Amino acid sequence: MNGVLGMAGIALGLASTILGGITVVIGLTKGRPRLLRVGSLYVWFMLGGAVLAFAAMERALITRDFSLSYVANVGSSRTPALYNFAALWSALQGSILLWVLLLSLYVAATLLWFRKRLTDPVVGWALVVLFGISAFFFLLVAGPANPFARTSGTAPTDGLGPNPLLQNHPLMVIHPPILYLGYVGFSVPFAFAIAGLITGRVGEGWLLDTRRWTLFAWGFLSIGIVLGAWWSYEVLGWGGVWGWDPVENASLLPWLTATAFIHSVLVQERRGMLRVWNLSLLAATFSLTILGTFLTRSGVIQSVHAFSNGAIGPYLLTFFGIVAGGSLLLIGWRGDRLRSPGSIDSPLSREGAFLANNFLFSLFAFVVLLGTVFPLVVEALQDRQLSVGRPFFDRMTTPIGLALLTLMGIAPVLPWRKATGELLRQRLFWPACFGVACVVVPVLFGADGLAPLLAFGLGGFAAGSAVRQLALATRRQGWRGFLGRANGGMVVHIGVIMIAVALAAQVSYQRYAEFTLHPGDTARFGGHTFTFLRQVAEDKPAALITSARIRIDGGPVYAPAQQLYKARGDIIATPSVKTGLTGDIYLTLLTPEPTSSATSGAPAPTDTTLTFGVRLMPYTIWLWLGGGLIAVGTVLAAFPGRRRRRPTDPVSAPTSDRVPAESRPDERELVTARRLGRLGAVGGAAADV
Amino acid sequence: MSDVLMPEQSDTPPPSDGGRRRRLAPYLALAVAVVLAAFIVVAIAAKGGTKDSAATPLLGQPAPIVQTTTIDGQPFDLATRRGSWVVLNFFSTWCQPCVAEHPELLRFAQSQAGQPDGAELVSVVFNDDVAAVKKFFAEHGGGWPALNDTEGRIQVGFGVAKSPETWVVDPDGVVRARIISQVTSAELNELLARLKAGTPASS
Amino acid sequence: MSRHAYKGWPAWIGLGVIAVVALVVGVSQSGGASTPSERIDAIARTIKCPVCPGESVYESRNSVAVNVKNEIAREVRAGRTDDEIRSTLAARFGDSILLVPRASGVDSLVWVLPVVVLVLGVVGLGLAFRRWRLDTASAGAPSAADEALVERAMRDHGDGCR
Repeated sequence: MNGVLGMAGIALGLASTILGGITVVIGLTKGRPRLLRVGSLYVWFMLGGAVLAFAAMERALITRDFSLSYVANVGSSRTPALYNFAALWSALQGSILLWVLLLSLYVAATLLWFRKRLTDPVVGWALVVLFGISAFFFLLVAGPANPFARTSGTAPTDGLGPNPLLQNHPLMVIHPPILYLGYVGFSVPFAFAIAGLITGRVGEGWLLDTRRWTLFAWGFLSIGIVLGAWWSYEVLGWGGVWGWDPVENASLLPWLTATAFIHSVLVQERRGMLRVWNLSLLAATFSLTILGTFLTRSGVIQSVHAFSNGAIGPYLLTFFGIVAGGSLLLIGWRGDRLRSPGSIDSPLSREGAFLANNFLFSLFAFVVLLGTVFPLVVEALQDRQLSVGRPFFDRMTTPIGLALLTLMGIAPVLPWRKATGELLRQRLFWPACFGVACVVVPVLFGADGLAPLLAFGLGGFAAGSAVRQLALATRRQGWRGFLGRANGGMVVHIGVIMIAVALAAQVSYQRYAEFTLHPGDTARFGGHTFTFLRQVAEDKPAALITSARIRIDGGPVYAPAQQLYKARGDIIATPSVKTGLTGDIYLTLLTPEPTSSATSGAPAPTDTTLTFGVRLMPYTIWLWLGGGLIAVGTVLAAFPGRRRRRPTDPVSAPTSDRVPAESRPDERELVTARRLGRLGAVGGAAADV
Repeated sequence: MSDVLMPEQSDTPPPSDGGRRRRLAPYLALAVAVVLAAFIVVAIAAKGGTKDSAATPLLGQPAPIVQTTTIDGQPFDLATRRGSWVVLNFFSTWCQPCVAEHPELLRFAQSQAGQPDGAELVSVVFNDDVAAVKKFFAEHGGGWPALNDTEGRIQVGFGVAKSPETWVVDPDGVVRARIISQVTSAELNELLARLKAGTPASS
Repeated sequence: MSRHAYKGWPAWIGLGVIAVVALVVGVSQSGGASTPSERIDAIARTIKCPVCPGESVYESRNSVAVNVKNEIAREVRAGRTDDEIRSTLAARFGDSILLVPRASGVDSLVWVLPVVVLVLGVVGLGLAFRRWRLDTASAGAPSAADEALVERAMRDHGDGCR
């Protein structure tokens, strides 16, 4: 029953996307606007199909319908309800189903947002592209990634349950949906960019139309990545937040190009330049989401996130080829229209900074992509295996990260078109002082290492610059100084800087020790005391748990554990973390492990020694606070900024319309004056959007 | 991505010597397209899945040093076994395939014992409790030596990450074969026959 | 824009000096030769755990990883160099156990290509900027009419600087 409903939903969705796409294409090419409206109705059928399929799968999971092989694999009577619900996206087929649902929701939302402009060819072609993308993903769930396949033979009486790592922390419930909201969200700006290329309207229209969509998707992708890092830290037990694992890289790659994109569009909005960069970055972002899906789901790369099924690989790869190749063709075809009317006058300018920003982020993405696929390439060419691991990525991306921090400090104070050294010296003085203080103080406390100290210094510099902008804006506008793209962006910058600094501190200054203690003993490490109270064994429905009760500094008790999941037989170590403002204490239980001979229920002996690991991680909480600031800043940036002046007005011109016209300078005068470099600081309003 | 190099050209207004510069953009696009196509071809050719390749850098190389005691306390040195074929099997009682292949090893040991230049079977305890292994051998039979490897020196010496693994060392002390799956007696006998006849082993 | 005299060159040079001194002090605080246990940890971080995907031998608690780490410790105490130890392990487990690709042969491409891209990009940007500056310079000096226009604008509407 569930299977039938699900397949019906998928069939409905697939048919709607194909029919809808064809209808709208005919409407666009034959100039029949009515067909555009009709075609857009198919969106609702598509959404209905996706919702039906999703609901059918959830129903199957909740009722533990093991006649579906997917439920038999990831569902279980022993899994708590919340994780059972989230089990839908814990494995391959279901995750594509989630993608389909989110994509359908986005397309419907696009339709609603642009409902007054349905006859506009740009909106029409964007809808065609969105139909095409949806058709592809519906095809995946209909064919190679079908979650509604029946179990072969008789239905089992119970399932295995999701991978144990995916059912012991609520973060796992929200991390994939949020990440997917990011990935999938980029389909919309991409569709509009392609529509712009197809119709030849490659100006700034499509950019302005999709500004908030891009921000929305970027925001969710950022939060999704931070949540993934948090999950890695809280659940995986190796004491790190980022391992440069291929699946992590797959989420980072589109984020890098998307970040470059959201900055670079400012140049296009303001001066109509960097059009090819923007189109390329957006096409790259969307292509990388597909490529990332391919890398993590086709099984070509081994990873902790093992999530693979060989059949889906060729489909994803073909789609990636179509997307990337198609974008390239379109950009090449419209090349002449993409020439900009202006040029960058000086490298020391806002435009120059954004161009350098584009370059640095592209280089970053290139390094990460190269490191991730290099083993693949070498194996295909030379038939031997090699690994590219953390040390490579850390070493190569640290200099790029430091360069980006520097740019983050300088760029906000740069005016458009041209800056002088004098201007920089004046504006960056206090940020530079703060940056130097951020090096001197740690050194006085004994910090060492060039990379972390540079990170502190440059981070302080960049933070000082961002705070300066916010201070100026709030001084002028009060609390409104936090709203708008530029100010929200400064808040986001502060969040990013916190993360960068915390990462630098963590990587360089963490300390680790292991202790073997009898019950009642105390160990000392790093200025803290650890008292082993007792060992506890529990028998929960899903797992046997052996945990230690450890008191830190005579205060609260923490319980690192090892869990033996009965269904799959995996033993998972669960760390216990004491969070503090200046650092975390991260406890892991090393021995003893729960043994399967105890399945009969006999508890483990409680008087033996126990070995546990203590990891001191400085400033970990800054990572999560920084992530929170990024989220807050993104929301702030979505608000409209201060009322715009005409771009040609000088900075001191009032924004109200009550100023009499004759006191406003003539445009021609200003343009000429600017060209002569006379009004040096005009356009230097750093808080200007 | 290679998009880095593309866009500078298109941002400039057509300059006086536009002819030379305008021709650069299509070449850049072509370069990007070529890299893309090459990558797709490579990705298609990629073989996914766990790489349990039986290849090892030690094939054809002298076997690593194996100097330890058996679980019965007798000293053992692989070097003293020169002159006869030695089959090393990495074994754990907690590993299902190891337990399943044990009867096959018994059969193999018996068949080799009946031959004049029969191979010696030696087990190496892989990350397991010696008492448990002793108990297992007592219960299930197996009169061949089982080696202590509490520090893991033998396992690391051979580059063994998982059990079971079976290695064949020839009378000159050179590694000739590595099997990373469950073995049967027939397989082993056939492999040894081939190696002794001089044909290169391919497992 | 307010101009404060104290933010001029002398203050900046002073800041620069303090920063460099602090960095030098900081870097030297880490000491010279690392202790053997630090060396072991450093090497262990570059060796992949053969069994558990995604972790190095330093992080993993797997028995195989612990054995490899002990082997590294033995070799360090025996006085082998870092490269020798890595080569030995690769000679037994295969190249894939090294998390850091070698700096020779095809493997070195992964180190070299980013540098190549960086150099090409910087050169490209530099050339582009030079061309743009030349274009602007070739636009010619402002004419007398342009100057008059600007004088009038400045007189009528005041200094546009902040």
